[in-house]
Amino acid sequence: MLFNSIDFAIFLPIVFFIYWFVTNHNLKLQNAILLLASYIFYGWWDWRFLSLLIFSTFIDYFIGIQLEKQNDKLKRKLLLSVSIVSNLGLLAFFKYYNFFLDNFVQAFTFMGGEISPRSLNVILPVGISFYTFQTLSYAIDIYRRKLEPTHDFIAFATFVTFFPQLVAGPIERATNLLPQFFKKRQLDYSAAVDGLRQVLWGLFKKIVIADNSAQFANQIFNNSGDYSGSTLLLGAFFFAIQIYGDFSGYSDIAIGTARLFGFSLMRNFAFPYFSRDIAEFWRRWHISLSTWFRDYLYIPLGGSKGGTWMKVRNTFIIFLVSGFWHGANWTFIIWGALNAIYFLPLLLSNKNRTNLDIVAEGKVFPSVKEFSQILATFLLTLIAWIFFRAASVADAFTILGSIFSSSLFTVPEIPIRALLVLTLITVFMIIEWMGRENQYALENVSITFSRPVRWAVYYSIVLMIFIFAGQGQTFIYFQF
Amino acid sequence: MERLLKNTGLFLLPLVVMMFLADWFFSHHLRKSREDEFSVWNDIYDGKVNSDVVIYGSSRAMVHLDPKIIKDSLKLDAYNLGINGHNFWLQYYRHKELMEHNRKPAFIIHSVDVFTLAKRKDLFHMEQFLPYMLYNRDLEKWIDSYEGYSNYDFNIPLVRYYGQYKTIGSILKEAVTGTNIADSGRYLGFSAQHKQWNDDLVKAKQKFPDFNAQLDSETVRLFDRYLKECIDNGIYIVLVYTPEYKEGQDFVKNRSEVMNTFQAFSAKYNIPFLDYSDDPISYNKAYFYNASHLNGEGAEVFTSKLISDIKNNERIAHMVYSAAGNNVHQASLESESNFVASH
Repeated sequence: MLFNSIDFAIFLPIVFFIYWFVTNHNLKLQNAILLLASYIFYGWWDWRFLSLLIFSTFIDYFIGIQLEKQNDKLKRKLLLSVSIVSNLGLLAFFKYYNFFLDNFVQAFTFMGGEISPRSLNVILPVGISFYTFQTLSYAIDIYRRKLEPTHDFIAFATFVTFFPQLVAGPIERATNLLPQFFKKRQLDYSAAVDGLRQVLWGLFKKIVIADNSAQFANQIFNNSGDYSGSTLLLGAFFFAIQIYGDFSGYSDIAIGTARLFGFSLMRNFAFPYFSRDIAEFWRRWHISLSTWFRDYLYIPLGGSKGGTWMKVRNTFIIFLVSGFWHGANWTFIIWGALNAIYFLPLLLSNKNRTNLDIVAEGKVFPSVKEFSQILATFLLTLIAWIFFRAASVADAFTILGSIFSSSLFTVPEIPIRALLVLTLITVFMIIEWMGRENQYALENVSITFSRPVRWAVYYSIVLMIFIFAGQGQTFIYFQF
Repeated sequence: MERLLKNTGLFLLPLVVMMFLADWFFSHHLRKSREDEFSVWNDIYDGKVNSDVVIYGSSRAMVHLDPKIIKDSLKLDAYNLGINGHNFWLQYYRHKELMEHNRKPAFIIHSVDVFTLAKRKDLFHMEQFLPYMLYNRDLEKWIDSYEGYSNYDFNIPLVRYYGQYKTIGSILKEAVTGTNIADSGRYLGFSAQHKQWNDDLVKAKQKFPDFNAQLDSETVRLFDRYLKECIDNGIYIVLVYTPEYKEGQDFVKNRSEVMNTFQAFSAKYNIPFLDYSDDPISYNKAYFYNASHLNGEGAEVFTSKLISDIKNNERIAHMVYSAAGNNVHQASLESESNFVASH
């Protein structure tokens, strides 16, 4: 089920009503309702893949309990390995089987061998990269004795499948989300209103900003050979906005929806396009994944301990793995490598933690220096996004070749409608800038404005969503 | 909780009211529109087609056959019901609606082509159905097989206008300025295209070097049913393969298979089939703006030629005039009975 569908607009109030009014605030019943709702939500896409979700749930539930009972180091390691192999095995089969096979065949052929590949027509189950990482973190945290396993299967299954964040995150840690399934929940008026506001803002980002930008990004990237450097650069800009609006919009809807049920999910985006360097960008972009890699890969590898070489090696590993996590394509791996290269000068000069505050905090405009830094960082990410979006590495290099040519200085060939979309993007970025000190751009509306003004703002957003809705696109991160 | 429900209700109430009002407002304006396909649908639903001769088909019908020339030459009312971009499935729906809201036509010139019996998946120009959709079960059933609208669009007011910013923009422009919604210049359904030759054919051949037209079995059955229904209703039909630029005729590799299907229908129901594929017009690039479509000048020349051929073909001429005569007779009977009833 998509957040931006009428199905969801009907589904959500029904679940909300049953959850708060029928269960009589009974925790176990509320969890059971959420579990059932989550299975319906997921099964709406394809019920057959529910089996994978249930399999992953069972594996980690039982491994969690066994890890608690077991004190033998070797056996504990073995149990953890079962969890890792099961979860990553699912991921490897559904997401990477054909990629590895194709590359193996190519390498074999290159060396003069002959092989008949048997590639499979594998459908990628929605959300598999997200829920496998979430369950993995549960097993790892128990193994590290940072977490007590739960014996309540329903609560655990609901933690794994919690519908607001099931298919595209934020990737929650058991230490944050799981205890919330055991706490009595009260419907807090201001939290619920804030949740609804965040949902509305998320829908605006997705439907108005991302989907309209997608139309031009797709047109330009799919016919890149026909366009000048300036148009291709504009195409990359549209994609940068699309992926931000799409993914952060999804996260906003997820976080807002969870609040309606009394849950608090972790923040996933913190205005990344206002970052002053690439390190700050990665502290603000897809936070739940970056911190997952930090906690479960970077630190176990030794983190920043062990000298410069180790730091550089570990940084490259997490960026490459992060790229590969996004998809079985060399374009994603190069995207990761490019970000690692951007990161390197900051790491070597120990400046990767200089911009920890909010840019131009308390001011309306940034300084010239800050503005230049933001612009430079944005342009770097723009170049990286070209690899992320292009159909192949060769395509990405061709696009870059055209961008860095004299045709960059021509007037972009875009239809009039693109100007309308650019205007909407400008308005959106201004609102984001004004709200950058909050959890999300509209968070402060309740404090700043009186109720009539506030409602006028909400009605305007609803109207804009209605009129300017782009061609219905699924969320980009559903494919990862 | 009570506060949340109360405030949510208060917030949503104006939106729900607005859904009904805005739906009525948009649909009401579009029902008066003269823009492109709206003008034809509106004429059908307002019973303004009422013609002896009607032209069916896709865009090729719409731009090839000028009803004004037909009217002047045959002295019979004519209307072009060609529907841009659609195969027979929706051509039939148009026919069905015409029969329900207008006087039965006497004679149908059905322009057929290689795509007539195919069925596209997407609902091309889907906005043309907007003002007629709400709670319209028949239309819902008819376009259900296309990727386009969901059942929410037919059952919840305003939902189908979601994201239709162009349509909404033109409606609001009319409301604000008081001017008429853009008139697309379709006259009695006909749309003359005064365009220069373009490279559509080159592009199409590059993109689909081995293109085959797919005959959709359900559409073929529907076409058969339609021919039978028309004959049973005393409506005469002539199938016409209007000119197609010679160089473009090899684009569809199984063209002969499609032509044989029409020949077979012609033989089965004893319906004339006029094929202009080898007519001198099909060899003259100056009459076309792409391989499948005649320009304004080409349409004028072709319509005159078709009428001349109809007049010179004793069998068809007889069909046209006897059918029209019956219709005139039927119409006068109807007006007489109306007169009697009203007095």
